[in-house]
Amino acid sequence: MHLWKNVVIERLMIPLLCFAAGMAQSRADDPPKAKQLAPPTQFRAEDVDGDAGTAIDLFWTLSPDDEEDTKPRKVLRYVISRKQIGGSEEAVVLESGSPFVFEVEEKKPEFEEIGEATYRKDTFRDSNCETGVPYLYRIQAFGPDNAASPTVELKEPIIATLQWFNLQRSWFAVFVFLICGAVIVFIEMARRGKTLKIRKIAGLEAIKDAVGRATEMGRSCLFVPGIQDINDIQTVAGITILAQVAKTTADYRATLEVPTSRSLVMTTARDTVEAAYLQAGRPDEYNEDDIYYITDEQFGYVASVTGKMVRDKPAACFYMGAFYAESLILAETGNSVGAIQVAGTAMPTQLPFFVAACDFTLIGEEFFAASAYLSGEPQQLGSLKGQDFGKLIGGILLLAGCLIMTISAFESRGEPPAEGKETVLQSAQIYLKENILGKGGFKP
Amino acid sequence: MKQSTIIWTLLMVFGGLGLISVQLFRGKGEVYVREVPVEAKSSSKTSPEQTYRWSTYQEVSAKEKDDPGISFSYSRTLGLWVSAFCTLAIFSFLYGDNPLYKFTESVFVGVSAAYAMVVGFWTEIVTNLYAKLLPGMARMSFFPDMESDVQSDLLYLIPLVLSVLLLWRLAPKGNWIARWPLAFFIGATAGIRLISYLETDFIGQLQSTIMPFIVFTADGSLLWIKSLRNTVVIVGVTSCMVYFFFSVEHEGIVKYISRLGIWFLMITFGASFAYTVMGRIALLSARLDFLFNDWLGI
Amino acid sequence: MKRTVPLLISAVTGFILIGTAFIPMFEEWGNDAMAWFNLLAAFAFILGGGNLLKMQLQKISAQQAGWGYAAVTLIAFFVTLFVGLAKVGVHPNAKFPEFSWSGNYLEVGSAFWWFFEYIFTPLSATMFALLAFYISSAAFRAFRAKNTEATILLIIAVIVLLGRTYASEWLTGGFPNEPIFGEGGITYSDFKLDHLSQIIMDDFTTPGMRAIKIGIALGVASTSLKVLLGVDRSYLGSDQEA
Repeated sequence: MHLWKNVVIERLMIPLLCFAAGMAQSRADDPPKAKQLAPPTQFRAEDVDGDAGTAIDLFWTLSPDDEEDTKPRKVLRYVISRKQIGGSEEAVVLESGSPFVFEVEEKKPEFEEIGEATYRKDTFRDSNCETGVPYLYRIQAFGPDNAASPTVELKEPIIATLQWFNLQRSWFAVFVFLICGAVIVFIEMARRGKTLKIRKIAGLEAIKDAVGRATEMGRSCLFVPGIQDINDIQTVAGITILAQVAKTTADYRATLEVPTSRSLVMTTARDTVEAAYLQAGRPDEYNEDDIYYITDEQFGYVASVTGKMVRDKPAACFYMGAFYAESLILAETGNSVGAIQVAGTAMPTQLPFFVAACDFTLIGEEFFAASAYLSGEPQQLGSLKGQDFGKLIGGILLLAGCLIMTISAFESRGEPPAEGKETVLQSAQIYLKENILGKGGFKP
Repeated sequence: MKQSTIIWTLLMVFGGLGLISVQLFRGKGEVYVREVPVEAKSSSKTSPEQTYRWSTYQEVSAKEKDDPGISFSYSRTLGLWVSAFCTLAIFSFLYGDNPLYKFTESVFVGVSAAYAMVVGFWTEIVTNLYAKLLPGMARMSFFPDMESDVQSDLLYLIPLVLSVLLLWRLAPKGNWIARWPLAFFIGATAGIRLISYLETDFIGQLQSTIMPFIVFTADGSLLWIKSLRNTVVIVGVTSCMVYFFFSVEHEGIVKYISRLGIWFLMITFGASFAYTVMGRIALLSARLDFLFNDWLGI
Repeated sequence: MKRTVPLLISAVTGFILIGTAFIPMFEEWGNDAMAWFNLLAAFAFILGGGNLLKMQLQKISAQQAGWGYAAVTLIAFFVTLFVGLAKVGVHPNAKFPEFSWSGNYLEVGSAFWWFFEYIFTPLSATMFALLAFYISSAAFRAFRAKNTEATILLIIAVIVLLGRTYASEWLTGGFPNEPIFGEGGITYSDFKLDHLSQIIMDDFTTPGMRAIKIGIALGVASTSLKVLLGVDRSYLGSDQEA
């Protein structure tokens, strides 16, 4: 028995061991199988609200293998594919040798890769959808060395629908209506004779004095309407101020020079100044060559204007419009020739330089108020009241929002917010920030 | 001739001669290039294939000047000296207006005006109008790489008509019609900017500013520094907004709040001014680097 | 009539584009309008260029002071315009060499590129660099400590300026990160110049800029409405001829 056992075992073990060694060797020679990753879950799609029916949003929960702290990463990206449902693609094939025979092939729609999201991202927007076409989406996670997860498909196709009104902007529409409505109402009230009090703005009071000074000294006035084109609202505002300044220079018989950086601004400025001189009853004083084009380029323009300032030494310089870095060059040069300088711009980055270098500066909103103020027309002054109403709404909203957030902070002090169980104040705070001042629309 | 003119002229002449001789002696201020031959074959399928040859040139460092294939570039060396001359001429304006600056200013105006027109012609009139309205002809002339199935976009007839109306301004009669395209675009600007500014600068800024006056940690203790900072921001925005009210005289309580607003604005402007100083100094150092490094080789 | 039709055009265009901002299907109309504007501006170069020529030629013909510089302007203008429009020195597209006009107008090595690289760019950069001198002279004039307000302004400016340079590390880099008042939260390192500079920018400059932007937005809305409603029609010129 003992001998049989030894012989059997000995005789069987060797072939068994050889077989096992052979198996191990063959496994070592086989290419390594691609690792399988865990798929993302809860894959869903939503039509993007308030668009022209061309976009669909996709959401998913990250693959369990997509962990923040894992190094090296198991998941590198999520590949999204799309298939059109219900239609078929046709391909036209030219039959060789017979150019007039066409063969139409019907292709079945297949999944096509449309984009990728990187690791740790759980959303994707497909912005190339056709309106009314059902799409089925598929997502797959990929990692290094061809690691991939099984694909996850949507259960039902989704259709991108056209919305006629962008509901995300509902509250914004309310604000536009309120502010524009206020401006229109106050203009109308002013037209009907209601007296509206407007406080003095120092820079605007100084314009007449500056022009008068220039006339006494026998020197010219220089007006720079910014370096942007007529498609910038600041240039339009600058041109409306130019009309008022031109009326003043016409009254005082002072020379007004307007070097422009854009051809269209030159064209518009000429019409404006001509009309102002006509209105002032001095059409003969108007000289269209005083309003001229130099060059479109920012620094070429300012090189020429500063050269002119140093040579002609204008007594009054007005900078009204959109400016960039050249603002300081202009203002400092004006300072060096002893001119009175009044500047106005809505470029927040250039205001510090004008404030530092000019005698008077119209800051932001004051610049837009200038033409109304200088004209003195009641209906234009009415628009300033409308601006104030807008500030009032903004201020009330701001303070109310801050108070709500403060009281809410006191209320929930120390208690972690329960999921989905916000207090009234917390809900109000979220609604204010996300809906009223955000893109959440009317629905909370 | 005025004394200052004589002095300036002498300075320029002797200074210039001195610089040139120093540079020639030292061998600096030169530009070297490597020739890169290009051989291109015609892509036409209907006519026999032709080969076109020309050369492009890549600028190389002066250290490589003795390497094979490297040659001295007269045009770029001249360009380097012209750049240096232009730089010094503009800097001379800091001393005062002078003939050198006037000359350079004139060149600058001429070159920059023409540059803008050339760019406008090729990028707008040719690429955006001609190619959109007549893609077939555009493909045969300037854009042979355009897709052959591109169709005419007749919507671009609108800007063409508006442009013709604008140029009617030059006509002896009926030049008032040039106001129509201007009115169209001023109206468009007004409508577009109203929406964009209200959305970004009104709603957006309010949304960013809404924050609690008092902030607590997760365990309920007061974060007084953060609370103070939040309060300062809210008070700052509100007081500045009060300053900008036009229909309320700055009297009584409004006077004090708007005074606080002015303080905030002054600090804003002072800090913004100082914030920009180093950036501007960096621009100067870049030009000085060009003069001393690229040109003089010091 | 000369102003009525343009006013109507302006109003209709503006209000339609305000409305389309809320209708997704027509949201792109505003961008299209601005793209068309660029075309109009390109054609308007004819007006601007014509005016430039007229002004310079007038100076030359009247032999006004500085007429020589006007001649220099004209020469520079015409030479640059010619080499740019004619694509002098521009090679064709290497994929389509039989189309001699297919190259890029700003190709490196071309004549137009030479003007851009060796005249236009250095002149622009140098004008920009002049700001270093102007900002220094403006700062010297604006930040004089004439009264309390100016003194505080000067201190703020100095803190922000130094906070942006190595001087902050050199002067206050040694401040330890230890609390000043027990566990009060303020440490000595909070008074480092770069940190103070950041606090000034975040807590004082930001609210100021926000308020300015809020005001600007309302000003833009008001100006736009005045233009669209025809309340301010000064930009349209006059009904009469001068």
